[in-house]
Amino acid sequence: MMYLQCAKVVDKISDIMDGHASILVRMRFHGHLLLCKNCRRYYDQLRTVRTLSGQVKSVDLLTELPDDFGQVMDFVMAEIEPEIEPEKGEKDA
Amino acid sequence: MHGQNRHHTEPLTEAAQVKALKAGDAVAWRDLLSRYGPSLLNYASSLLGDRGAAEEILQDSLVNIYRTIDRFEGRCSLKSWLYRGVHNRAIDEIRRRKRYVEVSADGLEDYFNEQGHWKHDCPGWDGLAAKQLDEKRVLSVVRQEMDRLPHMHREVLLMKDVEGLKTSEICAALEISAGNLRIRIHRARVALRTALSITLSVPLRAAVVG
Ligand SMILES: [Zn+2]
Repeated sequence: MMYLQCAKVVDKISDIMDGHASILVRMRFHGHLLLCKNCRRYYDQLRTVRTLSGQVKSVDLLTELPDDFGQVMDFVMAEIEPEIEPEKGEKDA
Repeated sequence: MHGQNRHHTEPLTEAAQVKALKAGDAVAWRDLLSRYGPSLLNYASSLLGDRGAAEEILQDSLVNIYRTIDRFEGRCSLKSWLYRGVHNRAIDEIRRRKRYVEVSADGLEDYFNEQGHWKHDCPGWDGLAAKQLDEKRVLSVVRQEMDRLPHMHREVLLMKDVEGLKTSEICAALEISAGNLRIRIHRARVALRTALSITLSVPLRAAVVG
């Protein structure tokens, strides 16, 4: 029944999730999951890990990014558009 | 295309964009920076675990990218080129500070017997997250655990699952093969799963508040 070893099934999970596995591999993989509670759990957990990783950014972007990136932007743009800097020295002359 | 680009009223092709960048077109540069900059800062910051240093590194890398844009020959996408520049600079800094975290054998899981079957039941995550923690706190735990991963794991996870780069973009940025990336991304997710299992399984509140 469980003709695929669990260790091999677990190794395939990321390829399956990312769409890198052939139809045959996917069929055998999901066939194994129907019969094996442990691999099913592990698969669900890795999917949760991937989903949560994908959500981390939205939190960061909402709470942290705009202000400090503005400073980086100003710094870099000052390098690119130096002529925008006010000219110095005229008053001192 | 298809209205995804909000910075230009008329979306530029990448070739046209590169041409404008090489010509020093400030609008093109501003557009490029505002499109990719926040993600790059996020990436550098997560890789370094130090936001202030990440800002400096991003500034330096972007200025360097501006100064060397003439060398960009379009063998990879502009996005990969940017990530490569920021990544290499960030890794240099991490190594300089001697904070590079290697992948250790200790973290490898040994769940299977000689026949390749589970030695013990895979522990469930039934008590996890939703029931006891709000989404924001779960994500802060994920972020925290991600920040502790070895850099080799962290970098692929950040690019693939956090920033959502395509496989080809990551391979170009890190200068690795697709096969290598597939192995690394899997190991990284496995490592994060292990870390999350430890933190999020039993006394949830104590683990997060403490
Ligand atoms: Zn199994």
